[in-house]
Amino acid sequence: MKTKIALLILFISGNLFAQEQKMSDAEIAAFKQDVNVVSKKIKTLSTDFVQYKHLDFLSKDIETSGKMIFKEPNLLQWQYKKPYNYSIVFKNGKILINDEGKKSAVDIGNSKIFGRINKLIVGSVSGNMFDDKEFTISYFKLKGQNLAKFVPKDATLKKYIKQIELTFDKEEATVVQVKLLESSEDYTRIVLKNKVINAKIDDSVFTN
Amino acid sequence: MQKSTIQFLLINCLLAFVLVSCGSVTKNYTLKKLDKTSYQVPYFTDSKTDYVYKTNITVYGHEISGIFIAKKINDTTHRVVFTTEFGNKLLDFEISEKTFKVNSIVSELDRKILINTLTEDFRLLLKKEYLIQEQFENESDNIYKSKDGNRDNYLFISKNGSKLEKVVNASKTKEKITLLFSSENNIFADKIQIIHQNIKLKIELNYFKSE
Repeated sequence: MKTKIALLILFISGNLFAQEQKMSDAEIAAFKQDVNVVSKKIKTLSTDFVQYKHLDFLSKDIETSGKMIFKEPNLLQWQYKKPYNYSIVFKNGKILINDEGKKSAVDIGNSKIFGRINKLIVGSVSGNMFDDKEFTISYFKLKGQNLAKFVPKDATLKKYIKQIELTFDKEEATVVQVKLLESSEDYTRIVLKNKVINAKIDDSVFTN
Repeated sequence: MQKSTIQFLLINCLLAFVLVSCGSVTKNYTLKKLDKTSYQVPYFTDSKTDYVYKTNITVYGHEISGIFIAKKINDTTHRVVFTTEFGNKLLDFEISEKTFKVNSIVSELDRKILINTLTEDFRLLLKKEYLIQEQFENESDNIYKSKDGNRDNYLFISKNGSKLEKVVNASKTKEKITLLFSSENNIFADKIQIIHQNIKLKIELNYFKSE
């Protein structure tokens, strides 16, 4: 019995250990290369997403979901469909919002944080992300996945986001999960699924 | 010409009447004998429930939207968090009837006047019990008057269904804040509006139906 427990502990701790393993320099180079090759081919990308807002004091995560559409070089739409309709478009230095039919526009100049998030999301699908001088990046291996952790260098950005974690599918070398950790132990986790790459997407999609 | 003048006068009279009748909260209500000395508010009282609302704030013509989250963390205190739709935390307060603590607030919102206003609003929104001193009625509601420092709170409870539908926070002469509740089951409020009469601020909360 004791041996069984010991084995079980060993198994679990071994598993935990295997969950997140630092990449070697060679692995980092190969990983960056893979992501770059794939992302260079991405002209358009659309994906469903589920967002989990985790606040430590809540009994469960707040779940919202919808669709994200990206088109080169920097057209981006986040569209929440459940439990409400809220769509946000990043286009020509502007943010266009459609909140249940109520429309508004924000200049990204006035909303640096949105601008940076936009750059980050676009960067993570287009592969420009790893050259970003705004972050200290570390790389890890997971089972069937790769993980890159971005810590902002800028003090202002750091106030909002302590760390960003992008999880990549190992085979496809594209982002499957974005996790934004706030300064406290709270985070937003966005899971991407049903990804479609390079389908024809008209510019008119990015109106709000 | 004459007809339109008369119409104009009529409208003016009507307007004057409306304005005058707004002067005092209870002016048009009938005083009644007290049927209770306190009232327990059902909304926001369950410590197991995450109260999550889609929120739209209109402040002097500007629109802010996001997610309002409230949770009762102990007997006296609620944690109140407001985030963007993306989940970025904009403010994080702990509020009780007497205490108040800012856990975090983004610099754009870190203004004393705003924090004081929101604290006052949230305190009223989350208040669990009112002590009643006077009672009135109109056709549809029983109206309870509860002293609140220099001001009074008037609770409008529907005769049909006994639901708390409105709270008016008023000075001796003027209404300051109005809270409107819509509740289907009388356990939580599906829709809430917080309307300020002296500043151009309106907060609308719509309950998040998770599937």
